[in-house]
Amino acid sequence: MTRVVEVPSSFDDRSFDQFAEGVAGGGAERLLFDAHATQWASPYGLVGLLAAGQAQSEGQRERPLLTLPADRDVAHYWARAGFFRHAAEYFELHGKVPRIAASGESDVLLEVTAVRGADDVHGVVDRIQERAAAILSRELGLEAQATMGFAMALSEACQNIVEHAGTLGWVAVQTYHWRRTLKRRVVVIAVADAGIGFRRSLEATQAKRYGDRWSDGTALEAVLVQGVSRFRDPGRGQGLAGIRRYLGRWSGKLSVRSGTARFTLVPPWDDDVPLAHGLAAFPGSQMLMIIPAQDGETAGHAAD
Amino acid sequence: MLRIDLKDILERTVSDEYGDLVTRRTGQAVRQEIERDLARTGDGQAAAIDFGTVRCLDLSCADEIVGRLLREQGAVRPFVLLNVTPAHREALQFVLERHRLAVVVRDTGGAFDIVGALPDAARRVFGALTQTGTAAPEDLARRLDLSPDAAREALEDLLERGLVIAHAGTYGPPVT
Repeated sequence: MTRVVEVPSSFDDRSFDQFAEGVAGGGAERLLFDAHATQWASPYGLVGLLAAGQAQSEGQRERPLLTLPADRDVAHYWARAGFFRHAAEYFELHGKVPRIAASGESDVLLEVTAVRGADDVHGVVDRIQERAAAILSRELGLEAQATMGFAMALSEACQNIVEHAGTLGWVAVQTYHWRRTLKRRVVVIAVADAGIGFRRSLEATQAKRYGDRWSDGTALEAVLVQGVSRFRDPGRGQGLAGIRRYLGRWSGKLSVRSGTARFTLVPPWDDDVPLAHGLAAFPGSQMLMIIPAQDGETAGHAAD
Repeated sequence: MLRIDLKDILERTVSDEYGDLVTRRTGQAVRQEIERDLARTGDGQAAAIDFGTVRCLDLSCADEIVGRLLREQGAVRPFVLLNVTPAHREALQFVLERHRLAVVVRDTGGAFDIVGALPDAARRVFGALTQTGTAAPEDLARRLDLSPDAAREALEDLLERGLVIAHAGTYGPPVT
């Protein structure tokens, strides 16, 4: 028996919970991820979709099906973003995968890239500095120091997979025009895995402290607000706190979803909620960072 | 003074293709190699670590290399970080504030400063020292309009943190 999970028409962090509900419902039947009507997917949507496929694979379920977007331009974008290179490993693909020619100019700053270990993180940081520095400076008005901080934030986000997921994950970086509320160009980093998530990663060292309150939400608060780590070393637990500070300085948004909760550092230009509980369960953790183009009004506005 | 080039260390320990100090694993490997170099020199000898070829320094590496070296060897010898960029500074500041530590840095233009957590009085005295080179507490007191005791106290604080060296009654940054 096959159950259909609809990939939202506009698939990004806003529609991800709807997608997660579709994945979470039902039993052990084979899943068909139906993206034929999808008109747009953000980097967050693409790496989240891979995480959904990964979760099926690691759960020893039958390999899920994925119908490709019917819109040729959408499928081409997914190909340019490097999605299909990884998707073929987790999904039985239905539809024609576009063949794309290499192009020097692209709003895809980093194609969907697998992160398994420290070497992958080095590769990601190396590539982003080569490809992104000029674009971040020219299109987003970020200073040179901010572009280096961008590489730092990317490195720490990827290391979160290496250190805590217990499995591989993916990262993708792209610039695009943010039409909703901001009406400005943004650069987006999306990182996702289908690993053990923050609650399980911290359980052995933190659950007792929280008692009955221990949950996906309190685990996220412990990591993102208190800088807690599962390691005893006092130097650990700085990565996500550092990302928060960096994004705060550039009026950026940070959103981390794990299990049934999502923590968000909400910038002035966004109307998200700081902490969402009781969401549909989704394995691992998914992180979104958005940095808007800078102008006199927003730069440095929300630094903490 | 022992001079440690992070490019050499990266090549010896991780890869000659990397120009970035990122990931905790890389930081551990680099720090352990620095510790081997330090073990070959006597305690008390200052060490200068050159960041000149490092592009990106992430928080994990800043903590693993500088944070841990200062925590474990800061009482044994002074450290100076050379060719530190504003982006390096940002990562170092974040990490050292958390540990309540500080380190002397020299930027690519040759200017000295302190990065990390330090009382204002000590920071002000260090700033004056970077302009005079070396100075006695009384000279600094006159220059900064402080009492000699206050200047001496700030210098002793800097000395205890390994941020200055003392010689024949005068104090100066730990770099020759």
